[in-house]
Amino acid sequence: MSTQAVAKAQTARRTKPVRARRIVKEVLFYLVVALILTVVMVPFLWMVSGSFKTTLELQSADVLRPGHEPRFIPREPTLENYIRVNSTVPMLDYFKNSLIISTGTMIVATTLALLAGYAISRFDFPGKRPYVVSVFSTQMLPGILFLIPYFVLFTWINQNFGIRLRDTYPGMIFTYTSFSLPFAMLMLASYIDTIPRELDEQARIDGCSSLGILFRIILPLSMPSIAAVGIYSFIMAWNEILFASVLTGSNTKTVAVGLLDFITTQEARWGGMMAAAVIVSLPVVFLFTLVQRQIIDGLVSGATKG
Amino acid sequence: MGQIAPGTPPKIVRRLQRSRIAYLLILPAVVCMLLVHYGPMIWGFMISLRDVNVFTVRDWMNAPWVGLANYAEGFDPAGRLGARFWRSLWNVTYFGIVTISLSYIIGMAVAHVLNRPFFGRTLVRGLVLLPYVTPDSVAYSVWRFIFQARIGLVNKWLLALGLIEEPLIWLVGSRSIYAVMTAAIWKGWPFNALVLLAGLQSIPKELYEAAVVDGASGWARFRYITLPSLAPVTRTLILMSILWNFNAFNQFHVMLGRDPGLHADVPSTLIMREAFQSFNFGVGSAMSFALMAFTLVFTIIYLRMLQPREDRRGRK
Repeated sequence: MSTQAVAKAQTARRTKPVRARRIVKEVLFYLVVALILTVVMVPFLWMVSGSFKTTLELQSADVLRPGHEPRFIPREPTLENYIRVNSTVPMLDYFKNSLIISTGTMIVATTLALLAGYAISRFDFPGKRPYVVSVFSTQMLPGILFLIPYFVLFTWINQNFGIRLRDTYPGMIFTYTSFSLPFAMLMLASYIDTIPRELDEQARIDGCSSLGILFRIILPLSMPSIAAVGIYSFIMAWNEILFASVLTGSNTKTVAVGLLDFITTQEARWGGMMAAAVIVSLPVVFLFTLVQRQIIDGLVSGATKG
Repeated sequence: MGQIAPGTPPKIVRRLQRSRIAYLLILPAVVCMLLVHYGPMIWGFMISLRDVNVFTVRDWMNAPWVGLANYAEGFDPAGRLGARFWRSLWNVTYFGIVTISLSYIIGMAVAHVLNRPFFGRTLVRGLVLLPYVTPDSVAYSVWRFIFQARIGLVNKWLLALGLIEEPLIWLVGSRSIYAVMTAAIWKGWPFNALVLLAGLQSIPKELYEAAVVDGASGWARFRYITLPSLAPVTRTLILMSILWNFNAFNQFHVMLGRDPGLHADVPSTLIMREAFQSFNFGVGSAMSFALMAFTLVFTIIYLRMLQPREDRRGRK
């Protein structure tokens, strides 16, 4: 007992300066963490604060006029920007368009990716390797490379067959399905790889066809990955700008490009834009949080394995 | 795979039979990618050889054949468009060098911070991902707001710190590319941190313990254990960043508009205007193929650069 206490006291005496240094180090460390969080959060705080400012406050703000400097706490907080989010820019229509296109993409892309992912994981078909490589490499090419001929193709189909694809939901869903397919099918394939093949063999012995195995065994077991892939496709379609800025019009404009409508050459409606920005990001952040683990693992392994 | 139950046809027949199902399964995906990716690449090349404009686009396959004239127009440094194209290539390269290296360095630093256990680490890890998760149009719209001259946060803080006397115009002229760089680094480093953190966690602890026993300093441990161990991750990370960088469009389009101006014009914004404002689809296609060629060249240069160093180190 007493020897222990003596030893303890000795260590305490010996390590006092060391401990002080450790505390300083610890404090510095938490300061660094605080700095990181500040850098991350400032734009978000500025967005939220802007969304509660009155138009008057935003328009009369001036970094040089004392009393009118832009600041984080709104001078007269208001909900006006949220209530009137649909008044000058039809943001709710864009929201509806985005919901339809993103949900459609999610369903179609996940279905196609599941079929292809199952084939890649379970069948050793001739040409599999080149196929996977070619799918993967499309992701590396500039989007603009596809956009021009794709637009010309849409115009040509409309001209010759009378089928309008530009500015329609099916046209956009088809486009975005193709965008999310590479990541979606490879991610599903690697997930299906982890499902023991013995289950397939067993089902086959019991008289299951290949499709039966897919729907009775693989599908129920891959649900976590399917959810992740679905949400990935949804977010991709929700966020896409390049193709949406050319291929969508008054019928299908999505939130990602519609958000830019708040700033015109005549007027800059920053308050409305920030309120809309908050609304646009909420579904994405919420959905991403749900399947954060799977999507990140997929992306990270893509980057680390290369 | 290739397992044969007794009493079934020969292996090759069986394999083809099973492959038929596989081909049927990938067929929808193949059709989809054929029409959106592979097909357009081929048509795009054909378009780049013809004078496809607003008048001829309806019947583009019969548009006048111009050979390589579109490429000449897009490339000629003496011409209006060519000069602009070369400038845009320089802009995107400069933009990439700055944003990729700073995102990597910041990502590496933050990955080290997050690799240490501390109070609230899970929460911090989640929050740090926010810039990466936020839609491009939202993030860059907010940064556009922040960089406004009179009502923006950047000028407010620079004035408060006494670094400037007058509010600066950030989003027009020669400063605009730096505004976009700032926003792009803010959005880009979390992905670097995420990937590097995963890399850090896969380095065996024993290496560091042995180094401490040998009396290696913190810097020495970083230089001789961490960096070499992260080399494969770094290689793919930087390579992907370079490839994505050449496609940069969103940050410039959202922050600076359709025409970002000479100082911040990048190939994608220039090609977009050439194709969808001037309706020179032929020239636009030619320039996008040139852009693809540059992407490939940089990829090859980068891979070459890394090769000899690896041989020297004699990786297993």
